[in-house]
Amino acid sequence: MSTHLTPEQFVDLAEGTQPESAVPHLAACDACRNELADLRAMMAATADVEVPEPSPLYWHHLSSRVRDAVDQQSERSWRARVMRPFVLVPSLGAVLAAAIFAVFAANRTAEAPARLPALPIAFNTTVVPETSPSFQPLAPFGATDDPQLNLVAAVATTADWDEMMDEVAMSTADTSDAVAAALTQDEQRELQRLLTEAIAQPGAREKLS
Amino acid sequence: MWALPVTFAGPGDARLTELENLTEAQLVEACLAGRSGAFDLVVERHRRTVYQLCYRFVGNHEDASDLSQDVFLRAYRGLRSFRGGSSLSTWLYRIGVNVCLNRVTAKRPIMEDIDARPHVDTVHEPQDERVLREERAVRVRTAIAKLPPKQRATLVLRMYQELSHEEIAGILDSSVGAVKANFFHAMGNLKKILSEA
Repeated sequence: MSTHLTPEQFVDLAEGTQPESAVPHLAACDACRNELADLRAMMAATADVEVPEPSPLYWHHLSSRVRDAVDQQSERSWRARVMRPFVLVPSLGAVLAAAIFAVFAANRTAEAPARLPALPIAFNTTVVPETSPSFQPLAPFGATDDPQLNLVAAVATTADWDEMMDEVAMSTADTSDAVAAALTQDEQRELQRLLTEAIAQPGAREKLS
Repeated sequence: MWALPVTFAGPGDARLTELENLTEAQLVEACLAGRSGAFDLVVERHRRTVYQLCYRFVGNHEDASDLSQDVFLRAYRGLRSFRGGSSLSTWLYRIGVNVCLNRVTAKRPIMEDIDARPHVDTVHEPQDERVLREERAVRVRTAIAKLPPKQRATLVLRMYQELSHEEIAGILDSSVGAVKANFFHAMGNLKKILSEA
């Protein structure tokens, strides 16, 4: 007696991809014939079992859920891009330098308003020597008519937050270097002087480390 | 089956009509290019089959719904890896099977209640026959959800998604012989589970 049929042969026979005549063993083996009959019966029993149809409104609900999940995913991806160290570190560095610059300028104005010249309004403005009589001293810190504060207010009013964040997201490791390189020599010297003074303050190094 | 026309980009939107005329490959390209509504259309076209695949795996609506969402989210993330070597639906089945296999190995499925009434069109069917058919369907679905994961995947993809053994082998990273053996043993186990119920 030949060996029983393999699972693969049973499936081929049940699905009709192989004719029974091609397997002589089947005619001589009751066990295999019964096995094949069981397989066919189970296939027939499972074939017409439908999945319960959900409410007609469900499909729209599913699409909305997927869309919300995709939107959240996109937002997370964007945040992840911004939070990458080589984007975040130079961006924060630039912001920190600007903050130190601004705080120092304000402090110096409050302490000795007549000694410090006015900050240039635009980056391409040439820094005029301190002795120039045409310079207007910075307004006292907190003054309501401070032109520097007015400038910041004007920029803040017209700035597009999304565009700014896009710029941050697109910044690279060279961003702070590029910003520094865009300054004129006088501006660079002034920035260097201010940063040096800030670092020389008691406890400044501990705060930065 | 019910069909509900759903549009996300607004009625009469020309861009949506334009998207609907795209081939599958063009639609994927549109998704990758970030065109509004393109991925919505992918979801709309495949949500029913993905949901049904998930339902047959887990045997209940809540889990099937969560899994369907997960399948589409993974598809969205991995859309760049879709090379068009297979159809988009086969690619989604592959994701769906992986998501379901991960779920069923991590969590035992909650079986549907025998009293759960499926929303099927039974207007012209006698009450007794309808009840018997529904009860039998629930028993079979519950039995399928108790099968070992690979046998369940093979049975569902073969019997309900009507994929070839070769396609199933591709999805399950298996051989055709192994797929047929899994299918054979799935049917044997199904008979055993049903006879014990």
